[in-house]
Amino acid sequence: MSGRVIVITSGKGGVGKTTASANLGVALANTGASVCLVDMDIGLRNLDILMGLENRVVYNLVDVIEERCKLRQALVKDKRLPNLSLLPAAQTRDKTAVNSDQMKVLCTELKSIFDFVLVDSPAGIESGFQNAVAGAEEAIVITTPEMSAVRDADRIIGLLEARKDEITQYRLVINRLRPNMVKNSDMMSVEDVLEILSVKLLGVVPEDEEIIISTNKGEPVSGTENVRSGLAYRNIARRIRGEDVPLMDLDALNGTWMTRLVKFFNPSVRV
Amino acid sequence: MAVVKLPEQFAELYKILGGVDICMSKIAIISQPDQGVLIDVGGCGSLQEAASHLSNTLQVSNQFWKGTEVALNFGTLELTPPQVAQLLAIAKAVGATPKQVFSENEPTRASLRSLQMKIGRGKPMKLPEIKIDALTQHELEEEEDSNYTEVSGAEAESMTLYETEENLEFNASLTHDTVPSAEAEDDATAAADTATAGDAVEEVKITQEFIDEAEEVDGEVDAEEEEEEEEERIAPPKPTTPPVPAVLYLRQHLRSGQTVSHKGHLVIIGDVNPGAEVMAEGDVTVWGALRGIAHAGIGGNTDAEIRALKMQPIQIRIAHAIARSPDKPRYKFSRFANSGPETARIIDGKIKIAKSNVD
Repeated sequence: MSGRVIVITSGKGGVGKTTASANLGVALANTGASVCLVDMDIGLRNLDILMGLENRVVYNLVDVIEERCKLRQALVKDKRLPNLSLLPAAQTRDKTAVNSDQMKVLCTELKSIFDFVLVDSPAGIESGFQNAVAGAEEAIVITTPEMSAVRDADRIIGLLEARKDEITQYRLVINRLRPNMVKNSDMMSVEDVLEILSVKLLGVVPEDEEIIISTNKGEPVSGTENVRSGLAYRNIARRIRGEDVPLMDLDALNGTWMTRLVKFFNPSVRV
Repeated sequence: MAVVKLPEQFAELYKILGGVDICMSKIAIISQPDQGVLIDVGGCGSLQEAASHLSNTLQVSNQFWKGTEVALNFGTLELTPPQVAQLLAIAKAVGATPKQVFSENEPTRASLRSLQMKIGRGKPMKLPEIKIDALTQHELEEEEDSNYTEVSGAEAESMTLYETEENLEFNASLTHDTVPSAEAEDDATAAADTATAGDAVEEVKITQEFIDEAEEVDGEVDAEEEEEEEEERIAPPKPTTPPVPAVLYLRQHLRSGQTVSHKGHLVIIGDVNPGAEVMAEGDVTVWGALRGIAHAGIGGNTDAEIRALKMQPIQIRIAHAIARSPDKPRYKFSRFANSGPETARIIDGKIKIAKSNVD
């Protein structure tokens, strides 16, 4: 079996790489695939916290690479999904602890075990990013509809294009979109972003307070029903698996009087 | 870069007590009363890395290094004479005097000879090896109505730990039975706990599988390892070395990514935050909140204890045992937070927590 190694990257920090990694991991695992999340943000690890697995981490990626433990010992199995595992980053080391060749070897080993290997890349374009993309065949670029994030995404896409022998496809996810602001022309629209970046769009995730709650709980939203950002991530997961899923109608999310009426009578519905 | 800044009093304490290890990322500072101080740079992969780690680490305390004779270990790093001189200059800049240098790399040794630096003979000192079996870790439950023996007569909040597979299974089934009733008010948590109890049984299977696999694949090497494991299982691991009676006092907060290890007892006056690790061959005492990982008895001493004013650890490790915090949302931890000073120790092969009570 040979799985797909997908790196999730952005250039800019704080746009939601780790959140996207956790949610796509859960969403893909929910479709029945076996998934491994790899946290490459060595020294600033967060993915274990988002997954609620922080207390189970004993060994980490650097231990595996330096052969202090076997891969299997370092993989932390998810609490809810048996087909989802996490390979945590080291917290007491830094990005120089691994190199690209070691990552390639590791990714080859992981993709022989899992259907999907999602690599959460650190911010920046230095060694940490280079290591994260080293073993990958596909990339998902995350950006927010802000000039700075789009500029950085553009830089990243350039770097990915330079590696087109290894990275066969790269697609864009636009995160934290606020349809109301787009409507008032206060925020770049999906079209505006695509016009600058001219890449294939994989999905759009609306801004959602639920994300903050889920981060504190350690339960990614894509595992929960009735959360709009969760639905967006589930759709992206289906597109990754090759299904043709139309984009969510974001205008309907919090604009129309009809949805407000529904929400008024049934607040539990998250429209 | 994580740098543990030691207070200036530390220099004094060091002279009195001796026997201090401080391990920060790739540089280890290892000292023993009779063998002096060794700065181990061997963990670094390149000159650049070694230089940045070394200069960061040596800023620990200027007072500490003034006039101190040190040995350095370059490990397998390959260095030209100017590069060696560069690293030595970093040590000299803080007032330390490099006395001898260990190296396993022939070109580096040649460089050292050309600089007329004394090359260390034999093996440099090493940090103690820590061996934990990650796969025997277990869901750590806060037992409301404790089925375990109470510690020191106090209302025990026990964390449990599991060295043998039998224990593991026993605890898994126990959790399964008691949790839903005890936690009826929180359905979601109860469900999650039940699920993890199931996980634990699966983890047992993995352990077994893992061992089987290891036997199959590399017979000879693992035969030795297995013997060791067997020993651990039959008899509780004996302390390999008598505990060093030295105590290290650290007056500071340890933040994420910082590690401190010590050959004797370790006292932190301050908090240990999530992501930080403290290790000691003896006891670990935190006069503050323990929120990160604490490992007592790293040499295998199962009598070692961990105490903290606020016990909110991610994991607790004593000798070869691991216990992990309960899977509850963090913001509901207030009950844990208000429980007062607590002590963790191994009782009947499990790590348990109870209110601290000096007899």
